[in-house]
Amino acid sequence: MFDFIRDPSLYNLVRGPLVWIAFFVFIGGSIFKIRAMYIMARNEKAVLPFINGKAALRSLLHWVIPFASRNWRLRWPITTLTFVFHIGLVFLPLFLLSHNILIHESWGITWWTVSEGFADAVTLLVIFSCVAFFLRRVFASEVKFVSSSSDFLILAISFFPFLTGFLAFHELLLPYKWMVILHMIFGEIMLMAIPFTRLGHMFYFFMTRTWMGSQFALWNSKDW
Amino acid sequence: MAVKEKIVSRDFKEYVREVNPDVGLDESIKGLTPEKIEKTIKAVLGARTARIRAVLETCIHCGLCSKACQWYLSNDGDPSYAPVAKMRMTIWEMLKRDGKVDAEFIKQCARIVFTECNICHRCSMYCPYGLDVTFIIGLVRRVCFVLGVVPQRQMDQDHAHATTLNQVWLGQNDWLDTMQWQEEEVGAEYKDLRIPIDKEGAEVMWLPLGAEPKTGIYHIERTAKIMHAAGIDWTVPGKDVWDSSNMPMFLRDFATMQRIVRGLFDNAIRLRIKKMVLTE
Ligand code: HEM
Ligand code: HEM
Ligand code: SF4
Ligand code: SF4
Repeated sequence: MFDFIRDPSLYNLVRGPLVWIAFFVFIGGSIFKIRAMYIMARNEKAVLPFINGKAALRSLLHWVIPFASRNWRLRWPITTLTFVFHIGLVFLPLFLLSHNILIHESWGITWWTVSEGFADAVTLLVIFSCVAFFLRRVFASEVKFVSSSSDFLILAISFFPFLTGFLAFHELLLPYKWMVILHMIFGEIMLMAIPFTRLGHMFYFFMTRTWMGSQFALWNSKDW
Repeated sequence: MAVKEKIVSRDFKEYVREVNPDVGLDESIKGLTPEKIEKTIKAVLGARTARIRAVLETCIHCGLCSKACQWYLSNDGDPSYAPVAKMRMTIWEMLKRDGKVDAEFIKQCARIVFTECNICHRCSMYCPYGLDVTFIIGLVRRVCFVLGVVPQRQMDQDHAHATTLNQVWLGQNDWLDTMQWQEEEVGAEYKDLRIPIDKEGAEVMWLPLGAEPKTGIYHIERTAKIMHAAGIDWTVPGKDVWDSSNMPMFLRDFATMQRIVRGLFDNAIRLRIKKMVLTE
């Protein structure tokens, strides 16, 4: 932050104030969206009285564990793909050495990190999953029929931070510094996009499953 | 075998269907004006509630719901039968065009939501988010119902319910008469068998489907025998409503739907019964 005031370069901008803005928009926006959905559900009256905590938890568990639901088993290739993709997407950035170094420089804290080789492998897997999702969208008829530009956009938003992170790490294509700047910009775009696009499924997932899990418990059947 | 005539949808080239004339759809759209359609769509979908938004803002268009649907499976994986495709061709388009769709489009929606979906909720069991596609289909049915665009047979059942509170145009006299007639019939086999009408304080109230006293009379006789053999203290209501089939619910005709449910519960309260047993 102060680096930017002392030396207002593009690097210091994306490394300083924009990171703050991105996290502010991501966290603030998510809280706002969750709160808005909760208030709407409360006003709808037919929703909250039917929420059943235990049923919701059982439904959630069956869908966050790979192959624990019937459709996860039936669609095992996509299940494998989506779990690799999401685990890499959500956890890798948190335990990345280079991210930890940045956090250490800023706040003096660090936590557990994965080795660079492992991080690199997971990054490649995520990149591969994105390509596979893209091909599925273009070629699988049931997905193709319901795909629009917004679907490709959110896929791209998820893809570019990984691609540019990988290219920066290996100093490919562009000079390191420029690739890192690009990477930071894409990372920030992704964070800011989460609450305001269908990437918001990151938190809506837990809300919609809670609702449907409760409904199916009411009907004495399972939703997994 | 003669080749059936096909139509290709003007809006979605993948939506190809056999021509299937239905007065309820073909004739009823003739009275629709763009203003009326827009007003109705806005009235039904305007207040974007939590349950609508949760589906529209979460659905990632992944198609994982497709293999849940009997229509998709039995049409060799035709993508236009997938649950998410049914949302795409109806509600997404209505919202995208801000309600400015024409009568032809409404007819196509009605065909999709009334004749290509059984609102069975299986897609919610397959969607990773458990999205309530059925609820959305129900909203589109509501739009079509309010506009009067419903397949003729379904609309006729709804009218029967609205008029007689049962699905088969059976008057209260006929209903009582049928019960007594059936009691006599079984009496030949079981001397002390009764079909108790309006017995206060009974344990169980049996509520048939409309078709049973009308065309499946032997069901009455069999139910009576089962209740008799099991030694159950049972009764049937002597007043409307006794038909537990609620066709208006499937059309999202909320006014009639509520009259039926209320009537069933009113009978339960009046007779102080403990359990309702319905035919399914
Ligand atoms: C918010 C701002 C972000 C900043 C400032 C940032 C910064 C960095 C930096 C400096 C590197 C080091 C490149 C190297 O190894 O030399 C890096 C790598 C990486 N970043 Fe980020 N990043 C951000 C957001 C994200 C996000 C949101 C994701 C993905 C969800 C992400 C995924 C990665 C990955 C996967 C690598 C490493 C690639 C590899 O080792 O092959 N980053 N990041
Ligand atoms: C941690 C909470 C999250 C959960 C529970 C979750 C869950 C899901 C599920 C169930 C699907 C549908 C299945 C599929 O198509 O593979 C999905 C798809 C997707 N998710 Fe997530 N997600 C989460 C976070 C994220 C984040 C943070 C991003 C990116 C910023 C993301 C990006 C995507 C994308 C792009 C797809 C669509 C893939 C396609 O094109 O089919 N997800 N997610
Ligand atoms: S509710 Fe409709 S779309 Fe969903 S699985 Fe059943 S028939 Fe198919
Ligand atoms: S499975 Fe769920 S999220 Fe995927 S397309 Fe169907 S309704 Fe949408």
